[in-house]
Amino acid sequence: MTVHIIRRLLLMLPNVALLTFLLFVSVASLLGSPSAMMLGQDASPEAIAELNAIYGFDRPVLVQYADWMTSALQGDFGRSFTTQQSVAEAILPRIPITLELAFWAIVVAIAGATIINSIPIARRFIRPSASGLAIVGITVPNFMIGICLIYLFSVELRWLPTTGWVPWSDGVGAHLTHLIMPVVTLTAFYFGSFTLVYQAEYRAVSRELYIKVARAKGLSETHVSFRHTLPNSLLPVITYAGLSLGQLVGGAVVTETVFSIPGIGRLFVESIGTRDFPVMLAIGMVIIVGVMLMNLIADLVYTAVNPQIRLG
Amino acid sequence: MNSRRLLGLGIIAILAGVGILAPLIAPYDPIRTGTVFLGPPSYENWLGTDDLGRDIFSRILYGTQTSLVIGFGAAIVASLVGVPIGLVGGYLRGKTDLVVVQMIDLFVALPGLVLALILTAMVGPSIPNLTLVLGFVMWPTMARLVRGQVLQIREAVFVEAARALGGRDSWIVYEHIWPNTIRIVSAQFAITVSFAIFTSASLSFLGLGVPPPTPDWGSMVREGFQFLALRPLMSIAPGAAVTFTILGFYLVGSSIER
Repeated sequence: MTVHIIRRLLLMLPNVALLTFLLFVSVASLLGSPSAMMLGQDASPEAIAELNAIYGFDRPVLVQYADWMTSALQGDFGRSFTTQQSVAEAILPRIPITLELAFWAIVVAIAGATIINSIPIARRFIRPSASGLAIVGITVPNFMIGICLIYLFSVELRWLPTTGWVPWSDGVGAHLTHLIMPVVTLTAFYFGSFTLVYQAEYRAVSRELYIKVARAKGLSETHVSFRHTLPNSLLPVITYAGLSLGQLVGGAVVTETVFSIPGIGRLFVESIGTRDFPVMLAIGMVIIVGVMLMNLIADLVYTAVNPQIRLG
Repeated sequence: MNSRRLLGLGIIAILAGVGILAPLIAPYDPIRTGTVFLGPPSYENWLGTDDLGRDIFSRILYGTQTSLVIGFGAAIVASLVGVPIGLVGGYLRGKTDLVVVQMIDLFVALPGLVLALILTAMVGPSIPNLTLVLGFVMWPTMARLVRGQVLQIREAVFVEAARALGGRDSWIVYEHIWPNTIRIVSAQFAITVSFAIFTSASLSFLGLGVPPPTPDWGSMVREGFQFLALRPLMSIAPGAAVTFTILGFYLVGSSIER
């Protein structure tokens, strides 16, 4: 297993290098000269050239990339153009927030989709309701879900706080109440997709002989459903969840903006808005590496859950 | 023709009608500012007016044009790039296919919205640019599906027969392979339209999409969000329009069996 993980990590490297290079080149060459942007429209060409020389923007792109990459690997991503704060300082405290949001979203989606669709009572009612809810989750854009939730639960009913983020240290209750709406917003799409995948697999597994045997043994419907059908229908959901992890970052960007959560996604949008070069690059890099790592983890979980796959 | 597809096609037909007829049915100019700011829904302004005094209902009607142009445009771009690449990769296999698979894998894992954010920031937000960017974001998915389909079809007996007849590769792909991928391509086309409309609305909502004053649903949701407590319809109505559109294309796309 360890050898397998190391091999996969090594295979990841060229892709990471290529993608970050593309990111760097596109940001560097197409956004124009950042010095011109920092100095404003009235800047003289000499002043721009001078600043270019200070920051090293006048060197070939490949050299700049190698340079940036070297310092990045040592944890130095440069300083933000707008706040002059070090980029690592700006980004690091935000990563756990986004990760927590994504974690809850994926857990709620998997648990919701599998448990609701396994309930052995009132199937005639629960299944179609779950399918309907799934289509809502898939087709309603997340910003729309977020806004409707805020309007309903914060503005009209005043049950939940509107926006913002409260860390664990400031109280578990406050943390969780601030977390409910963002998690629902982010999870909706994945609950929808997982439901469709799980329902199809559940139907197929229900026709298997061993399910009939379990029933013939006199096991209760609940036991059959949760102990026999559910575990055997879980695999496609996990595969699909793994493939969705990357896309989840996109949803997090929108969700964090709707709910003013100080995560990495909102910082990314802000950095693009203000053309904050180093922050944009660093977050793009974190996202690329993060997505690839998550795909790898999903793959490993898949192998662990499925005993039919044995590593050579 | 199943009911799901019929419903989806009905929605698309309504949207197309509204988009084409917007100049005739919209009660007001969508861009000209008025004197009543943040007006409540009334007989004159069915959904009220926005913070610049523009009629929200008229802006939603015109927003249909923006959404459909970007959605269809992006799906056409994604198909024009993705389908040939998928056909060639799947049919030729070997080294060509390896390059194709590498390219697809490189982009397919990245979150579409993030890729679109970076690319739009680079080329600048305008309707033609957004169309190209979203088409570029979606081509790998299209290519992957087509390639997978071609890998199956190329082993079929009728393809072998065509090869035995001495048919050239280009002829076999055009006459025998391509027609068998149309089904999956059309399903993915509809899904791509809905994805492009969703993503462009998200970009506009983040303030990085279609620039003002063009009537655009995502931008309208963004503007209305600030006044959610006072005028909820200002953001929820254009949001509902986006949802309705995505639903239409999703129903059509998912009704075609893969």
